[in-house]
Amino acid sequence: MSDAPIVNEFNQGPISCHAFNGDRTELAICFNTNVVSIFRKSGASWTQTSTLAEHDKPVTSVDWAPRSNRIVTCSQDRNAYVWTLDGATHQWKPTLVLLRINRAATFVRWSPEEDKFAVASGSRCISVCYFEEDNDWWVGKHIKKPIRSTVLSLDWHPNNVLLAAGCADMKARVFSAFIKGIDKKPAPSPWGEKLPFNTVCGEFSNGSGGWIHSVAFSPSGESLAFTGHDSTITVVSPGTGDVQSIRAPFLPYLSVIWLNESQIVAAGHDCAPHLFELKGQQWAFSASLDAAVKKADVGFTARDTFRRMDSRAQSATSTDTEVHTQHQNTINSIRPFSGTPGHVEQFSTSAIDGKLIIWNAHSISRGLGNLHL
Amino acid sequence: MSNTLRPYLNAVRQTLTAAMCLENFSSQVAERHNKPEVEVGTSKEVLLNPVVISRNDKERVLIETSVNSLRVSIAIKQADEIERILAHKFTRFLTQRAESFVILRRKPIEGYDISFLITNAHTEQMYKHKLVDFIIQFMEEVDKEISEMKLSLNARARIVSESYLSQFN
Amino acid sequence: MAFRKIDIDALEEDAFGEDEIEFQEIGELRPLSDVEAEVNSRAQEVRSLLQRGNTSGALTTALQNPPYGAPYHAAKARNTQTVMEAVISVKVVDMAQVAKGLSPEEQDVLMKYLYAGMAAPEQYNSGHLLSFHEKLTEVAGQGCIVRVITDRRTV
Repeated sequence: MSDAPIVNEFNQGPISCHAFNGDRTELAICFNTNVVSIFRKSGASWTQTSTLAEHDKPVTSVDWAPRSNRIVTCSQDRNAYVWTLDGATHQWKPTLVLLRINRAATFVRWSPEEDKFAVASGSRCISVCYFEEDNDWWVGKHIKKPIRSTVLSLDWHPNNVLLAAGCADMKARVFSAFIKGIDKKPAPSPWGEKLPFNTVCGEFSNGSGGWIHSVAFSPSGESLAFTGHDSTITVVSPGTGDVQSIRAPFLPYLSVIWLNESQIVAAGHDCAPHLFELKGQQWAFSASLDAAVKKADVGFTARDTFRRMDSRAQSATSTDTEVHTQHQNTINSIRPFSGTPGHVEQFSTSAIDGKLIIWNAHSISRGLGNLHL
Repeated sequence: MSNTLRPYLNAVRQTLTAAMCLENFSSQVAERHNKPEVEVGTSKEVLLNPVVISRNDKERVLIETSVNSLRVSIAIKQADEIERILAHKFTRFLTQRAESFVILRRKPIEGYDISFLITNAHTEQMYKHKLVDFIIQFMEEVDKEISEMKLSLNARARIVSESYLSQFN
Repeated sequence: MAFRKIDIDALEEDAFGEDEIEFQEIGELRPLSDVEAEVNSRAQEVRSLLQRGNTSGALTTALQNPPYGAPYHAAKARNTQTVMEAVISVKVVDMAQVAKGLSPEEQDVLMKYLYAGMAAPEQYNSGHLLSFHEKLTEVAGQGCIVRVITDRRTV
């Protein structure tokens, strides 16, 4: 396996979200439209096999349950669909979910057990959906208080009950999404012991404002990381009471995942995934994973250009800025690709420039090793 | 080009890059709508602090940001009456052709000469850094354009008056 | 729309009011007199540091504990003036060095004041502020500017 990131270029417009199936041979991807395309891997490239067209507004999020092989999509048209593959015809069949929300759905994720999923929405609530046998439908139960604005992202705790939500009211919260009859009583954790539905187990802010773009539980579920629009990453561990905010000197991050208990990768408006590491007790920015990034370079070209303008008393022919990263525009989603939750080996990023890149986490650590030498 | 122009444009460039972190955001107020929040202003929490960058008390840039859109307003240098007229004519010419400029706002914000409205749709269609380049280039050009127009206007006035007065020789 | 004059969206229970967002970040407001006294004593301190030629010390002192919150209108203006006095006294060649000496929090606060200063070009020398802005951005990155735009605790 080569260490270089694998770049998949689709050239069908900006990618708004993506999800892989369980064995990573199929890919659901949305090109900022109201349809989701399903691609199958053939050799090194991807071939389109079908489209999921039921929404009538841009699709905002998609998630693929790895074991039960179901896809859930949600869109700005206020709806979510669960798609199941019909064995006989090999067609994806949609089932409308009773979300009961009246604004855009913004984000969706299956729970680890795949028996529930949560839909974030602009109607200041989260709809936790589960399958009701009696009526043969997916129905949602609302987490409302104390959310005061659009919910932008969600992440499930490994225990299948706790749910983290990042919100445009500058708060990240942890809720209980315990559904009677589906969930077993969870073991006590640092987040709380008695957990009826809609219990607020924690409310955090990053100190200097900014919408919370992304939240992620650590593989053990002991800590929570979230990124805000003020370019900070905050890691909270209720067990130790530790709250650390890192002020990054870069543009805001839109998505964050944990590689393992001591490494976090975040990416966003700076077009490159950045690695944060726990060194001793301190979280700190450690490196950009995109080898091509030369931060100073951009500044210098601009400065040189201006200097040229100064000396010649006119503007030179080009004031063009170059972006030296693999992605040429904002990365809006990072997802684990291979490895186990506590040890992610590869992860995928999708961006507005229409590229989907698969990065090797191990090459990163090797690269860093070289750096230290 | 005086030596304050470089830091001025650099500050505008850096601030624009920092402000142009937009995403698709559907309205919280109206169902199934998606509109530039900086223009509608109905949800306070998705608006950010406006900032002003000034070179002197005449030339300044106002940058107002929201979750899915940003507004850049530019006050162009107007040292005297002629420059004021030229700037007015020039910006009027542009705003009347706003469709061709994509990001140009039809009406400038009060107190400024020309405004741009950039939404998440623009940053999706175009490279973000190119949009920033465009605005910086525009700011460079507009000053140059106006001083050139002023020069040619003066030159023309001189010729006209010369040929007029030559009759009385 | 003559029949509907009330902005019903503002009545939505969860919607944010004008001051509420700023308030959410600041927490409790202190009595006005305390804040003003603090700002005035800081102004004194900064001035005496400047007289002794300790510019970086003056700047660090000026950036401590800035008054946040809408009610402290006058105190904010006074404090901006104090910070500007310190900023103006930093020579262009020393700017990068001074910026490096600040903690990340102080850099963020300084950036806020630089923008506050640039918003009043008739009062403060924009040219000087622009050079400092450039140097500070080189040191603290664009994240610093992002935080000026996002932080509701304005100066």
